[in-house]
Amino acid sequence: MALPRPFTRGRRDTSGNRMWVWLMLPGTLWMTGFLIASLVLVAVLAVGTTDELGNPRFGFDLAGVRALADPAYTEVMARSLGYALLTCLICLLIAYPVAYTIALHGGRYKHALIAAIVVPFFANYLVRMYGWSVVLSDDGPVLRTLRAVGLADGGTKILNSGLGVVAGLVYGFVVFMIIPLYAALERLDVSLIEAGRDLYGGPVRTFFFVTLPATRQGAAAGLVLVFLPAMGDFVSAQLMGGPDQIMIGNLIQDKFFQGQNWPLGSALTMLLMLVLLIGMLGYLRRTRKDEAEARR
Amino acid sequence: MDATPAVRLDGVSKQYGDSYAVHRLDLDIEAGHFFSLLGPSGCGKTTTLRMIGGFSDPTDGSVLLGGDDVTALPPNKRNVNTVFQSYALFDHLSIADNVGFGLKRKGVAKAEIRQRVGEMLDLIQLAGLAGRKPATLSGGQRQRVALARALVNRPAVLLLDEPLAALDLKLRRQMQVELKQIQREVGITFVFVTHDQDEALTMSDRIAVMNEGRIEQCGTPEDIYEHPASRFVASFMGTSNLMTGTYRAGAVALEKGPALPVGPRSEIADGTAVSVSVRPEKIWLSDFEPGMQMMSGVIRETVYSGPITTYLIDLAPGVTLSVLEQNTARARMEDRWSGGETVEFGWRPEHCLVLA
Amino acid sequence: MTLLRAPSPAVPERTAAKARPRRGRAGRRPRVLIAITALFFALLYLPIAVVGLFSFNSQKSLTVFDGFSLRWYRAFAHDDLLLSSLGTSLRISLVAMAGSVLLGVALALGLVRCRTRLGSLAGLIMLVPLITPEIVTGVASMLLFKGLGVPLSTGTVMLAEITFSISYVTVILRSRVAALNPEVEEAAMDLGATRWQAVRLVTLPALLPAVLASAVLIFALVFDDFVLAYFTTGVDPQPLSVRIYSAIRFGVQPTINAVGTLMLAGSIALIALALFIPRLFGRRGGLDLLSGK
Repeated sequence: MALPRPFTRGRRDTSGNRMWVWLMLPGTLWMTGFLIASLVLVAVLAVGTTDELGNPRFGFDLAGVRALADPAYTEVMARSLGYALLTCLICLLIAYPVAYTIALHGGRYKHALIAAIVVPFFANYLVRMYGWSVVLSDDGPVLRTLRAVGLADGGTKILNSGLGVVAGLVYGFVVFMIIPLYAALERLDVSLIEAGRDLYGGPVRTFFFVTLPATRQGAAAGLVLVFLPAMGDFVSAQLMGGPDQIMIGNLIQDKFFQGQNWPLGSALTMLLMLVLLIGMLGYLRRTRKDEAEARR
Repeated sequence: MDATPAVRLDGVSKQYGDSYAVHRLDLDIEAGHFFSLLGPSGCGKTTTLRMIGGFSDPTDGSVLLGGDDVTALPPNKRNVNTVFQSYALFDHLSIADNVGFGLKRKGVAKAEIRQRVGEMLDLIQLAGLAGRKPATLSGGQRQRVALARALVNRPAVLLLDEPLAALDLKLRRQMQVELKQIQREVGITFVFVTHDQDEALTMSDRIAVMNEGRIEQCGTPEDIYEHPASRFVASFMGTSNLMTGTYRAGAVALEKGPALPVGPRSEIADGTAVSVSVRPEKIWLSDFEPGMQMMSGVIRETVYSGPITTYLIDLAPGVTLSVLEQNTARARMEDRWSGGETVEFGWRPEHCLVLA
Repeated sequence: MTLLRAPSPAVPERTAAKARPRRGRAGRRPRVLIAITALFFALLYLPIAVVGLFSFNSQKSLTVFDGFSLRWYRAFAHDDLLLSSLGTSLRISLVAMAGSVLLGVALALGLVRCRTRLGSLAGLIMLVPLITPEIVTGVASMLLFKGLGVPLSTGTVMLAEITFSISYVTVILRSRVAALNPEVEEAAMDLGATRWQAVRLVTLPALLPAVLASAVLIFALVFDDFVLAYFTTGVDPQPLSVRIYSAIRFGVQPTINAVGTLMLAGSIALIALALFIPRLFGRRGGLDLLSGK
């Protein structure tokens, strides 16, 4: 009767799997071939050399990596880190009230309002930054308004300063803070706030004891999402900051396009990746800790 | 009559890691029957159905359809069709295209598809909705479309995976009758998976009660209800007064309470731990017959629920029996027992089952 | 994220807001918060408005509006370099859209259904572009092409953009695939379809709205992308965004206002379209643009 059929056992489950593997393969191979391989190439070139013509040569030379310790570069790196962190902080301060207002007071317009924030942010970054630089220019509407109300005098400038760079980064990436915060606030149970009012009384105390802790994960996600692009950006420093305000992205760009020092450019790129990975890992550890606490 | 069963499972197992979802199942389903696989969730009934349909490979044993071994065949090569629990209608196709999907796959001529789909829509009384999309239909209508989509292919066996579970009670009762009628009309073997014992009892020709991957009992609805083969079947099918004790010389000494005389049972050895089962409706409170097993107890509670009254009677401290009495025209309200009264009751010896 | 899903009721009914219907979820209208939000919206749209307004300026100034004129649009229409860049950008976007949607749809299907170690590895690889800053992707792509001896050209931009866009398509479609009822595919097989036919006849049609939406979105993102294009493009022809970059680095160029306005209008329209496509199909469940990011 039942003949042993060792080769057909579980066959259908795996043949199903095989088709899914075939579907997955082209995309995965493509990404591995173009992306993972190229990232590895950057790492290899970071310890490579150049020939007399400036063309990259593989080898093992730590000149590029050692050059990172040069004060000229460490200063840029410190500035990048500082600006990126400052951008994160300002984004948080702006995004929180905006997301809070839309999520809790947006009523039936909240979907439209959040779409009105998201849609332009996905539109052309360069044109937006260019428009922003016009708005913040010495004759632009912002400074003119500030001068009119007496908050600024003729000497006040925003562009060509650190403030300009940070303003550009904030304008560029604040949406990445709003989205996760909005999502967290949307999920927030209103009865929690009401319970908070009962327990703690005032709206301010309720905010610090109830609302803020409940949205901590959204804020953490937002910080990472802003930090990543802010750290690697070079357009804001170029358009809003001028030559004295360059960031690590500008250095990388310079080493590849003007300086033609590819090993150093690769080393800088790897350094940037390293900083971002540390940030990511910190975030992941934080969320894992939060999740563990939530489970308890 | 054709002796070849429509479905035969021969030592079929499905193993996930170390645990068995289905354990060495042997089962014959006769052609033309309405056959139910009944059991609590996780008992392996759906896995069994999926193995018949070809959606899941048995880890051991074989599946035969009409005498042919189909264990290695994929679902599209088996002459069975399935009505899924979620209905699984194709949302982007019209009702007519949903029903015609299988025929089109088989390469049936367009004119014939149109005709057979039309007949099928008439049968399920949805002819007017042929052009609509599934999303616009009610739950009951979607259920019927799923049925028509499977039946139009005239499969040898139709598999139904809890098709009525998503419907509300009233619609469900109505669909039970309708489904049974359709089955009789088309004469196709139905294999019906359900966890609802009422549904299985009212619709089936035969029922297999499953528990923990095994078949506990297989038989007609009366068989299973009146002569449950195990403690599990007795408790799963309807309500039952189950009491545990030890068999010794024609009586069962209850763990808490008196010894119940059950008559000599030659198949049970003295000292075996057994369960005694008496259905609540098989216990009499009046008009006793000679030869009945008579007992007495104290009424603890009287629960009136329209056509019937349920009494909870303490046979001994910790042993409570429930007893059903019909509120027929002859029964008078003032004759009902109330709490605290001592009553006589009895049952026919054959209604007292001893289950190993 | 429930952005642009099926419309939800204006006010949750179970809250106290029911008794005070004109007020928000958490009671009293907070004037300060609303003022901050209004200021935010003003600053968000001001740069866009400025670019749009001054693209119609009759003079070169970016601060004084002299009068309405279409001269910068006319200048754009006669600028062969910008026009050829526009054509290049459109070509790149179309190819990147087609390539990444094709690869991304297959990848999303495979990732959700394939529960093997290879599947989880592929899932990790797919996330890399999302956590890598564009400048790193740009540098890496450029080095790869140089290393392979491939001269930078429109073709290399297309390859790099496809690589970068696959992740977006996959992230968008993944949750949609996971939300599909697996019984529907089984039903198709039950009715005589092979596994592949089931995917083609049942699964892909069910995914169509999300696929179209992601295609439109990718088109807009690639068209607007600058960093990756900047690192991987050849000298001529150059994509439009790279031309704009060179132009705005060297000061005010009113033609750029006209081009920029057209680009902003175009991409805002496309992205809005991408968000609303699922609604056009009259189905529940919008495009979850943001959940995976």
